[in-house]
Amino acid sequence: MGAMTVQVEGLSRRYGNIRALDGVDLTLERGITGLLGPNGAGKTTLLSVLATINEPDAGQVSVFGLNPKDRAERVEIRRRLGYLPQELGYHRHFTVAAFLDYVAILKEIVDRRQRAQEVARVLAAVGMERLGRRKIRTLSGGFRQRLAIAQALLGRPELLILDEPTAGLDTEQRLRFRELLSNLPGDPVIVLSTHQADDIAAICPRVVVVLEGRIHFAGTPAALAETAKGHVWTAERRDERAHMSWRDGDNRWRHIGDRRPADSETAVPTVEDGYLLLSHATGTR
Amino acid sequence: MRPGADGRDDVALLRSVAGGDEEALAALYDRHAGWLTVRLTRRCARPDVVDHAVQDTFLAVWRDANAYRGDGDVAAFLWGIGIRRLIDAIRRDSGTKRWRPWRSTEPEVVVSAENQVLVGIEHGHLGQALAELSPELRAALQATVLDGLTCAEAAILLGVAEGTVKSRCHRARAALRTALADQPRALTHLPRNQAWETP
Amino acid sequence: MTRIFDPPEPVAGANRHPSADLLAGYADRGIDEVVAWSVEAHVASCAECRTTVSAHVDGERLARNRSVLLALTAIPDGGWGWRLAWRCGIPDHLLRLVAATSSLRRSWLLAVVGVLTVVTGEAVLVHHLWPPGGVSPHGASAAGLAPFLLFGPLLVLAGVAGAFVPALDPSYRLAVAAPFSSLTLLLVRALSALVAALVPVVCAAFVIPGPVWLPAALLLPSLAVCALALAAVTAVGPVRAVVVSGVLWAVPVVLLALGRSPLETVQSHGQAFCAVVLVVAAGVVFIRRDRLEMGWAR
Repeated sequence: MGAMTVQVEGLSRRYGNIRALDGVDLTLERGITGLLGPNGAGKTTLLSVLATINEPDAGQVSVFGLNPKDRAERVEIRRRLGYLPQELGYHRHFTVAAFLDYVAILKEIVDRRQRAQEVARVLAAVGMERLGRRKIRTLSGGFRQRLAIAQALLGRPELLILDEPTAGLDTEQRLRFRELLSNLPGDPVIVLSTHQADDIAAICPRVVVVLEGRIHFAGTPAALAETAKGHVWTAERRDERAHMSWRDGDNRWRHIGDRRPADSETAVPTVEDGYLLLSHATGTR
Repeated sequence: MRPGADGRDDVALLRSVAGGDEEALAALYDRHAGWLTVRLTRRCARPDVVDHAVQDTFLAVWRDANAYRGDGDVAAFLWGIGIRRLIDAIRRDSGTKRWRPWRSTEPEVVVSAENQVLVGIEHGHLGQALAELSPELRAALQATVLDGLTCAEAAILLGVAEGTVKSRCHRARAALRTALADQPRALTHLPRNQAWETP
Repeated sequence: MTRIFDPPEPVAGANRHPSADLLAGYADRGIDEVVAWSVEAHVASCAECRTTVSAHVDGERLARNRSVLLALTAIPDGGWGWRLAWRCGIPDHLLRLVAATSSLRRSWLLAVVGVLTVVTGEAVLVHHLWPPGGVSPHGASAAGLAPFLLFGPLLVLAGVAGAFVPALDPSYRLAVAAPFSSLTLLLVRALSALVAALVPVVCAAFVIPGPVWLPAALLLPSLAVCALALAAVTAVGPVRAVVVSGVLWAVPVVLLALGRSPLETVQSHGQAFCAVVLVVAAGVVFIRRDRLEMGWAR
């Protein structure tokens, strides 16, 4: 069991006076898990600890049974890792294929032909087969993000860590992204972070809500939506009793509050509702 | 060729490749990679080695399409590169160290003269004599005469020592001479085979 | 093998094609070898039969090789310099790593050449305006050399800094999270940056009017400064290490320039001192090489 999962216990890390992570316990299994939370909630820190980039101040980390505190095991973890950092930078002069070739070397694919095969494979996976010779600086934001995802896929990682992978992608690209993740060979452990609830609903069978360095929910998106049951209603006009109100797509007002007033229309709670309710409860909104 | 394939002829494609046109290289590949694979497989049974040789052939064309001087068939040009790349691939595979080639392409192997002789050869006395040779002797002849390889290159292709190749060629030619000794007209008339159709 | 003997007749060749079965047998190695020779001879010069033969090859295999081919062509060759290095036996993947180093970019090298031109021009100017001779043989023109002596090794240091300062590597986090040995990566980049920076500096030393041993004299100080920076990285952060090393070189040069002769930094005592620093720093780097591993830092 331990050999096939990623486990984190009591993880803490601070930057100066800020507690980025505060006693986080988490287990990640095969399949897709989404980290949902606002910017600054600690998602990026958590992911960078899992990616062996940052060392925690306290707590235990176990990736497929390997301990990143040990140097040799850390390298072994990195062999099985695919990482997409937030706002990945590129060398200005690189072409798409040259960049992927470079990352493939970093992943210890030494043989030139094998590298070419891997590069071809990941380019096909993200639908960029014909763009190998384009300079990266001529690519649009959406394509750059696809390229960033492609580099994470090199070497068929068993643990895929994606920090805000859907940033800059339009709806169609998000769909393709979801398809891509579901069809990855080898059924890896995938964890991605986002601050948009509809990404979670669309892509992740498991969601973890991270607020202010702590985990406030871990379960299915449906269960998260369920937590908002009885707390969500719609009305023609804005209701002052609600904690949060906004206009929805039907030009009605949607409200989230402590208790649905008896005289209002129920609304089917969504993942976003559950998330907003949690955010409010922890005082982050 | 796949449907919707490029309509340009081989020489035009090569010229485009020389100008950096990747689509032209892909078109050239689509047209020639298949038969090249078949022909190389007849020299080396290992599919992965043949795959590498085919990739390297078109890679060499990409890097130096200007090596084609405009004389002769483009297919023959590609074959000349291909057989040498196959030998390189076999050499790499067997792990023998050597200096890497200075030029990425080598001059094309000219086999057109022998080709004329060989068409329909199975029916003449030469064909019969060849068929009576043992397979190793035939293979040595094929490598040195048909493919135009040096004895050193043939040795790598066949996986034997260079001296062995030389002696096999020698024995093959001697055997042919003996077999053909009383058939002086063997090369001039070759009968038509029923299995060959006219279009 | 069946032989049908008709009355002999010259071979037409061009407008006779093997049957579909024969071509299939040729493609699948299912026919007699001598027959195969003759089929092959025909196929070699007949486009139509080549197409037929090609159809017998597994489409997926062809597609796979095609995509590998296109990926191989997409990765830039690197030019004659890289190919030369490759022929000398340096592994292909190390060469590609060098290509990713910012210090080998044309823009950076142009900047280096620019700075060198300025300091060289200044030295030449001083030499012409105040020719040597008189009280001290090196005198005024030696003072004119001070900027060159100051900037030469600093330029080399700046180039090598590009190899390990994270801010100068846009995809730094990818390198951290990857299994490839950071020490190897760092050394490969540092070495190539060193050579790339030393060449223009040494060339400028040939141009500058000064002692004839000037070009060789710059080698040890440049190496020493870079080694010092690397050693310092194992203790303090990369940016601080570069600054400290740069200052440790600049201060003596400036002081000696203000005092007697700046050339003393690169004369016998200076060289010996640089050699000692180089050896000690190299030793420190070797002993504390674990600290050069990127990432996993607080």
